Amino acid sequence: MEIFLQLLINGLMLGGTFAIISIGLTLIFGIVRVVNFAHGEFLMIAMYGVYLMNLQFGLHPYVAMLPMFFLMFALGAVMQRYIIQPLLSASDEIQIFATVGVSTALMNAGLMVFGADVYSVDMSSAVVGTGMTSIGSLTINNGQLMTFIVSILLIGALDWFLKYTFLGRAIRATAQHRDAALLMGVDVKKIYIIAFGLGAGCLGLAGGLMAPQYPVFPTVGTFFVLTAFIIVVLGGLGSLHGAFLGALIIGVVDSLAGYYIAPDLKEVVYFSIFIAILIFRPTGLFGAGRGSE
Amino acid sequence: MKKYVSKIKGGAVAAVALTMSFSAMADINVGALYPFSGGLALLGNESFRGLEIAIEERNANGGLRGEQIKLVKSDAVDAGQAVGAARKLTSIEGVDVIFGSFSSSISFAATQVAELAAVPYFELGAISDNITDRNMKYVFRSNPTAKNFAEGTIDAIFKVVAPTYGVDAKDLKVAIIHEDALYGTTVSQFQKDIAKEKGLNVVQTLPYSAKAVDLSSLVLRLKGAGADVVLQTSYQNDTTLFFRQMREAGFKPKALIGAGGGYSMKDTVKVVGEKNMEGVLDVDFAQYLMNEAGAPGIKEFQATYKERYGEEPRSGHSLINYSGAKIFLDALEKAASLKADDVREAVMAIDLPIGSTAAGIGAKMNENGQNIRANAAIMQWQDGELKTVYPEAAAVAAPKFPQHP
Repeated sequence: MEIFLQLLINGLMLGGTFAIISIGLTLIFGIVRVVNFAHGEFLMIAMYGVYLMNLQFGLHPYVAMLPMFFLMFALGAVMQRYIIQPLLSASDEIQIFATVGVSTALMNAGLMVFGADVYSVDMSSAVVGTGMTSIGSLTINNGQLMTFIVSILLIGALDWFLKYTFLGRAIRATAQHRDAALLMGVDVKKIYIIAFGLGAGCLGLAGGLMAPQYPVFPTVGTFFVLTAFIIVVLGGLGSLHGAFLGALIIGVVDSLAGYYIAPDLKEVVYFSIFIAILIFRPTGLFGAGRGSE
Repeated sequence: MKKYVSKIKGGAVAAVALTMSFSAMADINVGALYPFSGGLALLGNESFRGLEIAIEERNANGGLRGEQIKLVKSDAVDAGQAVGAARKLTSIEGVDVIFGSFSSSISFAATQVAELAAVPYFELGAISDNITDRNMKYVFRSNPTAKNFAEGTIDAIFKVVAPTYGVDAKDLKVAIIHEDALYGTTVSQFQKDIAKEKGLNVVQTLPYSAKAVDLSSLVLRLKGAGADVVLQTSYQNDTTLFFRQMREAGFKPKALIGAGGGYSMKDTVKVVGEKNMEGVLDVDFAQYLMNEAGAPGIKEFQATYKERYGEEPRSGHSLINYSGAKIFLDALEKAASLKADDVREAVMAIDLPIGSTAAGIGAKMNENGQNIRANAAIMQWQDGELKTVYPEAAAVAAPKFPQHP
């Protein structure tokens, strides 16, 4: 029982990490309707950014993630304006190829600039984000707990922003029907730029939150992005709550299957769940249903 | 008018000079097939540096067969690209021989292409045994194989761990964990076989994906099984992940024994922390802290490396590639011609005793082209340095474990 609880905690905490990565992906997909295959490389850039800020200015990753949010926002906005926007009326494949191209280019740019070496933020003198909290015989990684909490706060904040602000309403209107929103006077292109920026900005936060646990290297994105895609589809493309729930499910499945089945078979288990979801509920747990655009 | 003529003349002279200098510089084209980009790039590049130094050294000392050697780099990130890269080298670049390749899956694919084109392929670093088990005529390998590594890790239990703790090796609970691609699967299969043969008590065998982002459940299983000794065959990211989560779960085995890969990297220590790496055993190609008596030229190589790249070698891959390249370059020098059959004859004639190269290996090829005098060294991380602890002749330090008072 104790082992089961520990596995559950480990799984939920891992789910928190998956969630913080998936939020941006589902946001971009839900609003801009572009599947961003460069998402993992954006994460890589954010992690390098946090690493550099820590190295140069001695900023704690949790502090560095705030400027990183805005830098990543800018990067996402640029990507939308100059790469996706010209292709908005092109077919889906073209957009996908463009983001795959960006992904490969960024990964190799990372390799050119930083080399293939692995870097990790030096947390030895940091007070928060390191160490473990014990509850009886159970332990929780403080850094992962922080990630978990921030991902809940982030979803709450985004929810509030989308529901109660003017800009948020415009974003939702655009997501629901691009042409109708355009007719109502919404500047759709601007909305897309903001939405893409927000999605990328979330990765800026992810970069800071993950720094205490994961080192950074040019292909770090590929370790996470496939799982993020599964989570987003599982939760329903475009759904923030779905992404969070999907992340927790995959995290727990990862942890339990790794123990009770075998560490190398855990992917088999969550891909099976993934296929089952696609067959029985193709729109995902929180998907908008077949009627949406 | 005259002005133009003289300009043209000047241009022609320059062009002739250019072609002349090219022909003098690039008479022997040698292919270097490694993963220079992608996930394997770090060790691929480290391996290549060894070859590069061997070639540059040779060129500085008059070259090969009186000609300068030109290295033609070809990037292969995976088996798929390796085929294309090898084809490019054999057909378009027209290289005489190919050196490679760090990764076994890349080597498998590339050697097949080279063999068909009858271009000798010198493998300097890929460790999968099967590469030289396919009756290929022109594939030769200088480095130790997975089986040598596995033997080394089991030896480490019997010769280092058990004596230091003063226990019988057969009373220790051994767990084998490994990444589930070719490298980990091959080494761990040999480990299982040899452990069984020698009567060790293996309590867990757990494969996992090298791309895993969480190994906490694996750690809990090891902890639950009460493993005393963990044998891990891994790359870098999974090694650092395993160490972090092992610490978080409070799992402290008596000994950790790695089979090269992530365990040999300085970068791993940087990420994991010197203190957490203390006492960890590693079986790999020989590294830099060896008795010079058993590894002539090792200090000189280290100095050249530092001068050439402005940093300390990042792992022993450069050293083993350097030593292997030198062995084969010597054979090429003595060959009757650079035709594949003459090269084979010259390579088969190599006969160097163990302890005669900078990496400590000897050289004598069997019919399959495998070096039977290639041995892996047993090393231990002590104060952030990877020190050779066994065999005693090459050792620079005595083994010690922080867990053991």
